[in-house]
Amino acid sequence: MNSHHLLLDFITWFVLCYFILLNGGYLLLNLLSLRTLHRKGQEEMLDDLPRAYSGLEPPVSILVPAYNEEASIAASVRSMLQLTYSEYELVVVNDGSKDGTLDVLKREFGLLPFPEAYRRQIPTKAIHAIYRSTKFPNLRVIDKFNGGKADSLNAGINASRYPLFCGVDADSILQRDSLERVTQPFLRDPTVVATGGTIRIANGCEVAGGFLTKVGLPRNPWALFQVVEYLRAFLFGRLGWSAVNGMLIISGAFGVFRKDAVVSVGGYRSNTIGEDMELIVRLHRLLRERRQPYRIEFVPDPVCWTEAPEDLKTLKNQRIRWQRGLAESLNANWGLFFSRNGGTPGWLAFPFMILFEWLGPLVEVGGYLFMIVSFLSGAISWQAFSTFMFVAIGLGVLLSASGLLLEEMSFHIYPRGKQLLALGLVVLVENLGYRQLNTWWRLIGLYRWATQKEASWGAMKRKGSLGA
Amino acid sequence: MTLPAGVLAVRLGAPADPILAAAYWTGIAALLLTLLLGLQILRLRISLRARQRRETRALARWRPILNAAIVGDSPPQLPPLAASERLHFIKLWVHLQASLRGEAGAALNDIAARLGLADEARAMLGRRARTERLLAALMLGHLGDRQAWPQLLRLAGMDDPTLSLTALWALVRIDPQAAAEYLTPLFIEREDWAMSHVAGILQQAGSPVVAVLAGMLPRLRLERLPRALRIAEALRVELPADSLRDALASGDVAVVTAALRIVNTPLLQDAVRARLRDEDWQVRVQAAKALGRIGDRSDVERLVALLADREWWVRYRAAQALVELPWLKRPDLAALHARLEDRYAADMLAQVLAEQDAAAANAEMETA
Repeated sequence: MNSHHLLLDFITWFVLCYFILLNGGYLLLNLLSLRTLHRKGQEEMLDDLPRAYSGLEPPVSILVPAYNEEASIAASVRSMLQLTYSEYELVVVNDGSKDGTLDVLKREFGLLPFPEAYRRQIPTKAIHAIYRSTKFPNLRVIDKFNGGKADSLNAGINASRYPLFCGVDADSILQRDSLERVTQPFLRDPTVVATGGTIRIANGCEVAGGFLTKVGLPRNPWALFQVVEYLRAFLFGRLGWSAVNGMLIISGAFGVFRKDAVVSVGGYRSNTIGEDMELIVRLHRLLRERRQPYRIEFVPDPVCWTEAPEDLKTLKNQRIRWQRGLAESLNANWGLFFSRNGGTPGWLAFPFMILFEWLGPLVEVGGYLFMIVSFLSGAISWQAFSTFMFVAIGLGVLLSASGLLLEEMSFHIYPRGKQLLALGLVVLVENLGYRQLNTWWRLIGLYRWATQKEASWGAMKRKGSLGA
Repeated sequence: MTLPAGVLAVRLGAPADPILAAAYWTGIAALLLTLLLGLQILRLRISLRARQRRETRALARWRPILNAAIVGDSPPQLPPLAASERLHFIKLWVHLQASLRGEAGAALNDIAARLGLADEARAMLGRRARTERLLAALMLGHLGDRQAWPQLLRLAGMDDPTLSLTALWALVRIDPQAAAEYLTPLFIEREDWAMSHVAGILQQAGSPVVAVLAGMLPRLRLERLPRALRIAEALRVELPADSLRDALASGDVAVVTAALRIVNTPLLQDAVRARLRDEDWQVRVQAAKALGRIGDRSDVERLVALLADREWWVRYRAAQALVELPWLKRPDLAALHARLEDRYAADMLAQVLAEQDAAAANAEMETA
């Protein structure tokens, strides 16, 4: 056998083994999630019992960064003021919006300038003014120079009064009891520093008064693919890692943090796109360096609904941003990688992310291209090519199906048989092009990260019908 | 694409190359597992539907009976409770009990007794199914079933926080006095029990817990003291000044802050004042708050000095304490603000005065 054939064989087996390891890893996470969801299901009926507050629940500051949100900010704030929780405040941060976001807030909530002794724990862009609502005592608005989402969250942290803060996107649709659910880990374990919950796709659902009133599936195929994608990402991607305290991301759309822990690591990093993931990876790195006991937990309950992009261009941009964010977050925290006190995050989660999420698109796209080119040029047999496609797609379908199984075992959010059938079809179809397309976009993200283009808020084209 | 590749592979049989064969069989395994998962999803959906139908039937039959019992119109004859309705009935019963007080609860207990559900619930406590155990503990607590005491006590000692806390709640409902004696030490020991849940349960136990807690404090080990003091705070327990004086003199920050949070007697003024210059800012925060509750006129200058503290929270709590002192009226506070030379101190007092104005305006609006 000559060296050309040896190389060909090596690449073929490398690609095959990579795909099997990648999907096998996710299947293991799936098994970890099963146990948590099973126990959660057993306690379901306790959730329905009337809730009495003892007064010892930790109060929460909800931080809402807003940039050019004049169309939806009033409805969002109004709905967030109706959450069920013993004590919370709402801090909206107007990040130098160019539209009438601040005027809308002033008008709708009777804002008046307030002489607040602003506490600058984390450096941020300068503050213009702080306002307090004359209608809702627990609502304040920080008006500041534009500095991006992370900078706004840091300003919100500085102004917040309570030991826990919850960062939410201004266009997030929250479950009324979302804070109750996501703060549970803080109640039973004083070492918990951050928690996140499951984010669901709001497209196709009915929304009234800022709350979700009826769950439905979107008609748009791109949004439909994302429904299954989110099931996979949250129900076993995050829940599985959370079971071994190795979760490296909490979605910026909804996450609760212990403020002193976040301040002690320097707050959000403002020169990154993926500020949500970067903060979690940094918390792992620095708390482990300090040998401080901590937990970062995931609560599988659906607590937040978000509008998914429905056109190809917006979806592509979103995925490119996500991949860049991932690359920046990992690159900024190499100290965690196989570090002496790295534990699960350093020895398992971080290497997994590097191998399968960061470099994944490169190997996957390279693998597909290599197989296609090798087959067309006659370098590999039809048998080898078809086996490769069979195993790559088959494992992908298996992963998506297991996400759907976890959903059916736990929350069965989609009650109708037709909806289940539609999701079953999506599980099959999304593996025949959509996932590969996603991998391609992620590769572009990786390239853009490597060429270091500037980070920004990243305008997202939405239908906006949900905020009405 | 999966199907043609699969069909082709099956037609061709497994490849001869061992690694290719391994990949081929991995694909086949994935395909078979996917089919199994699909069947399991279907099975789950079918059993969910069947369960929902049974629940709807059970609720349609029993809800009117329980509602009638709640308004004092309990039927003389009850229909038999089918085995398939048992769990749904108990869930409904527990839910109604949790929303009711007084005679209505007693009427529901009467229905459960007539159906022989106390025996059934005790049997459920011994089963492995966690949902059944949780429901049974809740039901026996509402029933005040003394026979279940030993079983519940066993459950209360389990590692499972949800199950053990539910059992504890039931024990407190059954006999607050006995539960207080046996369980207050447990509440202090078990760090995995959420303080808010513990406080919620103990608040129902009432005065027996207060007596037990006050008796325990002087004998507690230092590391248990902060949690015990936090429980005392949640229950608004007035602890003897001597017990608290010892805690305030402790070298442990957690103990001192927990003690400062519940100080409520002028007898401890000196012990609190001694903590105003503590190195730890969290101690200074709590000392400022405590002085706002128990301080006298001589403490005004001490609090004014804290307005210039390097820590924001100390300045904030000191300003709040000043504003809350009953003998400092608005003109006094305005004069105090005018004479402040430290910018941070002046800003903080201005903020707290503005907060006071805002709160007053809100209160006025609510009254109107």
